[in-house]
Parts: sequence; structure tokens; C-alpha cells
Amino acid sequence: MTEAYTGKDMIVATQVNKIYANGCHALKNVSATISRGEVVVIIGPSGSGKSTFLRALNQLEQINNGQIIIDGINMYAPGTNINKLRERVGMVFQSFNLFPHKTVKGNVMLAPIKVAKREPKKAEQDAEQLLRRVGLGDKLDVYPAQLSGGQQQRVAIARALAMNPDVMLFDEPTSALDPEMVGEVLDVMKSLANDGMTMVVVTHEMGFAREVADRVLFMEDGELLVSDTPDNIFSSTKHPRLEQFLSKLL
Amino acid sequence: MLTSPRRWLWHGLSVLIIAGLMGTLYIASKQINYSWQWARVLPYIVNTAPLDLRASGNGTITEVTPDAITLTLDSGDKPQVFKSYDQAVAAQGDLIFEGDVVARTVQWRAGPLLHGLWVTLKISVISLFFATLLGLAAGLMRISSNPACQNLAFAYVGLIRGTPLLVQIFIMYFFVGTMLNLDRFSAGVMALSIFTGAYIAEIVRSGIQSISPGQMEAARSLGMSYPKAMTHVILPQAFKRTLPPMAGQLINLIKDSSLVSVIAITDLTKAGREAISGNFATFEVWITVAGLYLILTTLLSWVVRRIEKRLAASD
Ligand SMILES: Nc1ncnc2c1ncn2[C@@H]1O[C@H](COP(=O)(O)OP(=O)(O)OP(=O)(O)O)[C@@H](O)[C@H]1O
Ligand SMILES: [Mg+2]
Repeated sequence: MTEAYTGKDMIVATQVNKIYANGCHALKNVSATISRGEVVVIIGPSGSGKSTFLRALNQLEQINNGQIIIDGINMYAPGTNINKLRERVGMVFQSFNLFPHKTVKGNVMLAPIKVAKREPKKAEQDAEQLLRRVGLGDKLDVYPAQLSGGQQQRVAIARALAMNPDVMLFDEPTSALDPEMVGEVLDVMKSLANDGMTMVVVTHEMGFAREVADRVLFMEDGELLVSDTPDNIFSSTKHPRLEQFLSKLL
Repeated sequence: MLTSPRRWLWHGLSVLIIAGLMGTLYIASKQINYSWQWARVLPYIVNTAPLDLRASGNGTITEVTPDAITLTLDSGDKPQVFKSYDQAVAAQGDLIFEGDVVARTVQWRAGPLLHGLWVTLKISVISLFFATLLGLAAGLMRISSNPACQNLAFAYVGLIRGTPLLVQIFIMYFFVGTMLNLDRFSAGVMALSIFTGAYIAEIVRSGIQSISPGQMEAARSLGMSYPKAMTHVILPQAFKRTLPPMAGQLINLIKDSSLVSVIAITDLTKAGREAISGNFATFEVWITVAGLYLILTTLLSWVVRRIEKRLAASD
């Protein structure tokens, strides 16, 4: 993985299949290519495999067959160090999953110090800077339990960014939030997109998809059915199941 | 909800019931003509008997002052000086033979029961250390995805929890101890460690499993290896949750350690048995021994509650 890859494809998933131990076929021949700097939003009904696909992209779920290449590195090739690869793929969860025994700053610094072996002083400065960037410069030393949901999710984003990832994965980052806090998290994500970050976002926030996404993927029943620009998706859909899904949302 | 004056009445009643029970026991002991002699227990707790200071060779007492007695030795060696004595036995000019008592000091020394208490504490703490290591390893093996690890840990926990500790101590001392040439104390520590380790393994396992799987996923998604995620994210959180059951386990360990007295380790229980063969104050000694165990365990639960309070900072 030392040879520098400069191609424009950040993520290439080919014919990916995932069958859970209980026999549930959650991904059926899913293929998708995501370019460097692209913001892709995945939509689809509950149970359609959106989370499974996202989690396959950093191997939180092992796929049964197919191929996933991140920034030129084949995830399942022998000799690929998955921990090294994951450092470059940040992930933000619906339930935040902050480390409750660490302060806000401690959450952000932990991986840079323990994994990337950065100088603790430097890691601390970086953490403070990142937290200011997500608007939490005044909460450095409090524990996650003392924060609102929206603040916690912004810490989680800062924590993922601290490893300087090339891609950020978001799995319904605003679904667990009270409505008045959704905006602050989406704003952080928008500014991240404007900075050119490659992002894959599972969300029900159609406004975000319309406004920020370069492309929208529609999944249903484990299949990737539509991949198109937001304009085409939301105005002139031709796919009957996508139409059905969108009509239920409105 | 009872009003507060009524509550005090109930508290008073409970005190009365306890006092009544103790009175009944006292009367019952009178019925069998038991004569209570608490004073006989005291020397076994703190020994106040004067300590003899003896001559190291033949000689003559050449000087007696309130501060020191000097014994000039026939051998011509440096004179032996007894400083800070409390009671002189020999006088100026006395001829002294080796081993004679020259003076006495009054000193408070720990009696056999306190020595026993110390041995109990020592064996419990050493065993707790090894039991924690064993329990941590076995607990981690239980939740690992490797079937060999799972099976080994499962067998260990099942075997130990399914057999009596007393039998395990005998096996450890007479069988394993003989093969490995272990002394009593080591055999006792090993038996207690292996026994307690099996229970700690279950505490560790349930503690780790009580942490939401999202924590492990978040740690792994940041690039942490499984061991790193365990040490920096999962175990520190699990530790806090396992503290109460671990404290309970330590208290059990202290109580279980009384069984090592069967392989002639002079712990608190054995010291109690020895005290009884010396002073025949059976009831008093056993009540004292129970009290000493109670003090030790109460003290420990208090310490653990303090630690829990400190760790609650991030809640
Ligand atoms: N760990 C698992 N074991 C077995 N089946 C699972 C597991 N996780 C998910 N599934 C199944 O796989 C399918 C896809 O689930 P997934 O979580 O990817 O859907 P989703 O599109 O993210 O849904 P939602 O919008 O509700 O989050 C579902 O049928 C689900 O029941
Ligand atoms: Mg999901």
C-alpha cells in the first residue's frame, strides 16, 4: 500500500454480496464507484441494506463475495492491513458512540495518539482546533454525557476527522437527534463537503441530498436500483419503486 | 411512606429484637453453665506480657542506671548494654550466665489472632492479584471468536465452579503441591486464585458484554486493533461496571480463605482454633474471629465505595 494511488476513483465496489449468518441476503450484487471529492447520499426504505453497504466499506461487516477497493487498495487482498485502511475511512454513527469515559478532547485525541502515534501535545492542539471547527471550542474538557445529542454528534465528526481520513461515512447521523439539533450537524457536514471531502451519507434528510449531494443512490431489498444526480432523482423519476418510496416521504 | 416518628419506632423495635436475641443466647449459654471470660481473649489479640531480655554470654553486671544495664562479659568481648528496659531483674554485681533474664520490657505486640488476620489479608490480596489476571484472561477467552479459547475458558469455569473449594484445596496441596514441591502458603494461594479466577472470568465477561457493541465499532473504525480497542475503550468502561461485583468477590475471597486453615496455614481461622486450645474460651474466641472478619470486610467495602464515587466523575 505504499505506492501512491492518484486515480480519480476513491471507492470501487464490485458485485458485493452480503449474507448474514441468519441467511438474510442484505446486499445483492451491489456495484458502485465513488470519485474523489464526491458526496454521495444513499436513500431507501428501512431494511434495504444501506447500513450494511456503508459498514462493508470499512469492513465492520465482512462481505461474502465481490470486491471493494478503497483509494486503490483492495480491502480483501492478502496482506492488506485493515487497521491501516480504516484510519483513512472515518465513520459517524447514528448513536454517536462517543467514549463515555473520556472527555470531549480525550475522545478526539485517543486514536491520533494510540494509533497514528502522534505527539500528544500536537494531537491535543489538533483536537482543539477540530473541535473549534465544529463549534465546540468551549466544551473541550466536559464528558460526553453532559452534551446534547447534536453536540455529541459534532464531537463524533471531529473524532473521525482527527485521523485525517480520505473518506467519511455517515450512517443516519441525524436520525437520533431532536429536530432542532439536526441543522447544526448538517451544517458541519455541508462545510466538510465544501472542503472537498469524499462523503458517503445514509440519510432521510432529502433537503441535504438535494442541496449537497453530487449523486444519490437508491437501494431497495439489498439491491442498488438507481444511481443519479439529485435533480434527476427528485424531479423526473422513471423508476417505479423509487417513485413509490419518495411519494411515501412527502 | 411512614411518617418519621413512626420510623424511629420501627428502628427501635429492630434494636430491641437484636438485643432480645443476644440476651436469649446469653441465657442459653448460662443453661449449659458456660462461664464467659472475655479477658482471656485479649492476650490473643494484643500480647502485653513483658518481653524477657537475656544475656548473650557469661559475665557480671557492672552498672545499673535507670537508662541502661551493662553486662561485662567474661569472654572479654564488648559489654552487652540493655537500653530502655522497664523492669530490672539483675542487680549490680550479679553473676550472670548465658541465657539468664537480665531485664524485661513491657511492649504491646500483636497477638496470634492479629497475626492470623494479617495472614488472611495477605493470602487474600495475593490471591486476588493472581485471580484477577486469570479471570481477565479467561473472561477474554470466553468472548473471543476462537473456538479453542472459548472451549478452554468454558471448561475452566465449569470445572472450578462445579466442585467444592475445600476439595480443590486438598487437590492443590496434596496432589499438585507434592508434584511441584509447593509450600503450604503457595498451595493455598494457588487454590484460592484458581477458584476465584473462575468467578472473576464471569464478571469480566458480563462486564465486557454490557458495553454497547457500538463502542467496539467506533474504536475499530478509527483504526484501532482489537487489543488496542479493548485496552483503551472497552476495558476501562467495563472496569467501572465490574467494580461492585469485584468487591463482592474480594469479600467472598476473604471469607473463603478461611478454608486454607485445613492445610495448616495459620490464618485467622486457624489462629482462632489454636487460641481455643490454649484458653478454652471457645465462644469468645469464635465471636472475636467473626468480628475481625467483619471488620476487614466492612473496611474493604467502604474503600471500594470511595473508589466508585471517584470513578463516577464521567457519568
Ligand atoms: N447483524 C445482522 N444479522 C442478521 N441480519 C441483519 C443484521 N444486520 C442487518 N440485518 C438485516 O439485513 C437487512 C439490511 O439491514 P440494514 O441495517 O443494512 O438496513 P438499512 O437500510 O440500514 O435499514 P434502516 O433504514 O432501518 O437502518 C435487514 O433485513 C436486516 O434485518
Ligand atoms: Mg441503517
